[in-house]
Amino acid sequence: MSGNKGYNPFAMAQAEFDRVAKTIGLDPGAVELLRNPMREYHFSIPVRMDDGETKVFRGFRVQHNDARGPSKGGIRFHPQETIDTVRALAMWMTWKCAVADLPLGGGKGGVICDPHHLSPREQEQICRGWIRQVGRDVGPNRDVPAPDIMTSAQHMLWMLDEYEALHGGHYPGVITGKPVGMGGSLGRTQATGYGVVYTLREALKELNHDPENTTASVQGFGNVAQYAIELYHRIGGTTVCVSCWDESEQTSYSYRKKDGIDLKELRSVTDGFGGIDRKRAADLGYEVLAGEDWLTQEVDILMPNAIENQITGENVGGIHQRVRVIAEGANGPTTPEADHVLAERGIFVIPDFLANAGGVTCSYFEQVQSNMNYFWELGEVLGKLDIKMTSAYHDVSNVARRQKTSMRDAAYMVAIGRVASACRDRGWI
Amino acid sequence: MAEKGKLKIPRFSRGAWESGEVITRIGSGGVGGKASGLWRIQTELLRQLDPLEFPGIQVTVPRMVVLGAEIFDSFMELNGLREEVAGDVTDAAVTHAFGKATLPPEILGDLRDFIGQVHAPLAVRSSSLMEDALEHPFAGVFATKMIPNNQPDADSRFQALSNAIRFVYASTFLSEARDYFKAAGLDHDKEKMAIVLQEVVGNRHGDRFYPLMSGVARSFNYYPSGAARPTDGVVNLALGLGRQIVDGGLSWCYCPAYPAAPPPFNNLGDRMRSTQNGFWAVNMGPAPVPDPMKETEYLVQVGLEQGAEDGVLDHLVSTYDPRSDRLRMGYGRTGPVVLDFAPILVGETIALNGLLRRLFPLAERTAGCPVEIEFALDRDGAEGSDYRLCLLQMRPMAVPEGESRLVPAELGDSKVIVAADRALGHGSREDLLDVVYLKPEAFDAARTMAIAEEVAGFNRTLVAEGRPYALIGFGRWGRSDPWLGVPVAWSQIAGAKVIVETTTRDMAPDPSQGAHFFHNIIGLGVYYLTARGGEGGRIDWDWLDAQPVAGETAHVRHVRLVKPLEAKVDGLAGLGLLRRSS
Repeated sequence: MSGNKGYNPFAMAQAEFDRVAKTIGLDPGAVELLRNPMREYHFSIPVRMDDGETKVFRGFRVQHNDARGPSKGGIRFHPQETIDTVRALAMWMTWKCAVADLPLGGGKGGVICDPHHLSPREQEQICRGWIRQVGRDVGPNRDVPAPDIMTSAQHMLWMLDEYEALHGGHYPGVITGKPVGMGGSLGRTQATGYGVVYTLREALKELNHDPENTTASVQGFGNVAQYAIELYHRIGGTTVCVSCWDESEQTSYSYRKKDGIDLKELRSVTDGFGGIDRKRAADLGYEVLAGEDWLTQEVDILMPNAIENQITGENVGGIHQRVRVIAEGANGPTTPEADHVLAERGIFVIPDFLANAGGVTCSYFEQVQSNMNYFWELGEVLGKLDIKMTSAYHDVSNVARRQKTSMRDAAYMVAIGRVASACRDRGWI
Repeated sequence: MAEKGKLKIPRFSRGAWESGEVITRIGSGGVGGKASGLWRIQTELLRQLDPLEFPGIQVTVPRMVVLGAEIFDSFMELNGLREEVAGDVTDAAVTHAFGKATLPPEILGDLRDFIGQVHAPLAVRSSSLMEDALEHPFAGVFATKMIPNNQPDADSRFQALSNAIRFVYASTFLSEARDYFKAAGLDHDKEKMAIVLQEVVGNRHGDRFYPLMSGVARSFNYYPSGAARPTDGVVNLALGLGRQIVDGGLSWCYCPAYPAAPPPFNNLGDRMRSTQNGFWAVNMGPAPVPDPMKETEYLVQVGLEQGAEDGVLDHLVSTYDPRSDRLRMGYGRTGPVVLDFAPILVGETIALNGLLRRLFPLAERTAGCPVEIEFALDRDGAEGSDYRLCLLQMRPMAVPEGESRLVPAELGDSKVIVAADRALGHGSREDLLDVVYLKPEAFDAARTMAIAEEVAGFNRTLVAEGRPYALIGFGRWGRSDPWLGVPVAWSQIAGAKVIVETTTRDMAPDPSQGAHFFHNIIGLGVYYLTARGGEGGRIDWDWLDAQPVAGETAHVRHVRLVKPLEAKVDGLAGLGLLRRSS
């Protein structure tokens, strides 16, 4: 869904896979199986609109690979949704679930629509229609969707309700991202952000840095960023700069306090989409800088927690020499060109699909709890999340060390290796 | 032992419980008196001990992880608990609020890893930053929770551990602690709590887990008798968990300089009645009724016959031989037993006493003052040793000093209304206008629980009014066997500045120096007088009964005097008195 012309995310995902497959010597059969989704569903969802007209929306569900378990992945609503984007995201979900060692495969889905121009009733019809079209091919044991861009817990509940109506029973494990109390898991809100910091914490240990002696600059101030900052502060770190998108001015700003931001204070001047009120932040004593300035701060850690393609070949040179670690909370924030430069500079990069695997891990926990119809305390969820993410980090780090390669490549090696093994064990290849 | 400077306790490392350091930490902040005392034992005291000097006994501290006090702050702040415990809240409200609170996320992974590695019983112990300091003992005021940690799944064990941690944090705000803070004149808001997660010393016997023996060794004896000097020290020993001693239960008391000296019992029957007849263990059997906010949830108290069945009495008892009407050292199959540790103390089957005598000067050197050491001993030490002596705590002792001398003749003065030939404390005060005492004519040993409640009622009123008072009663004050005395918790008598215990025919126990209650008395400067009857110890009940009555219940009377009483204690001579001015 990138606006860049000629940018094909699926081709990029395949290229990445091909490179790593060659490095690890994957056999041609496995390569052919894994570089393409196993199955795709393309369907039409007719909806009678509020004005009486009927409109037909196109929907997708791509199940990239489910050798390790049911497919897992979100459903997006976006006007520029393309099948290639969904294919790429489904593939990345396969790798993300595998690197986190979850018993899940990868999937993704979407509907080409713009919720900004749809009433709640129309959105509900789309959700129910999606399930009617593909409900026989998803389920707690097959494919478990979740929210994604411009879908929410409410959308998931409509889908759940439709599924249960069609199947005649309660199947809370068919979908995740449900609200707490309606089958959702405690800890989901914090999970992605906390997961970034669990991996960061382990990286700092390996690099012999005490978190209490580090500073960070963060791009984004949405859910992932806020909880990442929260836990980073809890382990002793100091965030000096945060950037975010200003919807009213249609530009981004960075907000800096050199002796450390006050998270509670900054949250108090932030809207529900992570947009900080510029004037109120200035009144609180924050320096207001250009949006890109988060990248050039004199800090030890950078956390891009917003969107893709933020650290590029053009701006990577502006990263301060003090920076030791980049923890990618967002998906695809670093371009391959920038990655190359970072490697040359010896900056330790925790790749996106490892660092932000906390979210899908907690989704897995939600699935498990839903299937048991027994829900855990917050401490149990977060404790398990910590253990899982820490373990995932060290699995990758060990390979990176042994193979003398980057964490990104090591993460791919671990993930692809696990999926390929599962396919082999099942006798598929 | 307040922390001096920053202790360099290494950080907990996942996966390294058995192979790593004996003492590690999670989180930052102070580690409290208990943990710092253990650290000093590990890094200073034990290094002075030659392991070859006592072959057969390995001396260690148990493996432990300390949760730094910043975690307590984080926990309180995360759950908004400061607001929940502000003001006058009930213990039930406190335990409910803490029970549903979430532990800080930054420690959960380490705790899960820890509990994944440890499959033996654990003691979750408070280590208050004010606790165990010389001036503020807080002994027994905060909770210790023992958990069996034997559930097969890590989730259940993690849940039990989390509950135990929350409970120990909650104990900071229960009424017992609050009353203690008030009595000590301390600011409760300044208290910070670290926690020690420590392996329980012992072995499993059926559904019970306990050590062969626990003990409290003090290098200064407040009540020396016979040829013993105060600096010879005193030791209390008990079968099973140390709770038996620190809660004021029956235990064996002896002077390390004279381990074989017979105790001051009148006859064999007295000895049998006055020695330990039951012991505490961690319950490893079927899960109890869940009560996460109860300190004894996982504890069980059993009789000595269970110890016999478990085969642990060999070194601990003498057996009565009816044919000779004597006690024979060791465990025999016929005849009742007395837990007098004679095989060890007289027969020296285990070189425990020699080891304790060796430890005293080393510990005093480490602490810079007389010390009290809690320990546990069990079989199967490492490295070829038969036994393992684990030092569980070391705290400083306050000893009497300064001018306050009494001679025995003074006790005979006609104005003396309480004369005590055994006294704790040192000094004098002349501000006591209130006396609360148990009415001799109404005293009933079967009603001590009710009496405790009556006393607590008077205490509440007098504390609220800011009136210090003298408390006089029969048997042993403190939480223990209700047949030995009035089983009050410290908070129920926290306003008493002079405590007098006297005896009846049925209640003449010796004061237990190993008990937490005892330790707090000393630390808070409360005078403790024991009037045992006769010239050396007497109470002028007639005078008390003639004073104006300010309140009365079925068993207790509160009188308010026109002129204050003088209380004077000579801790060096062990004498004390309460004297009227006219």
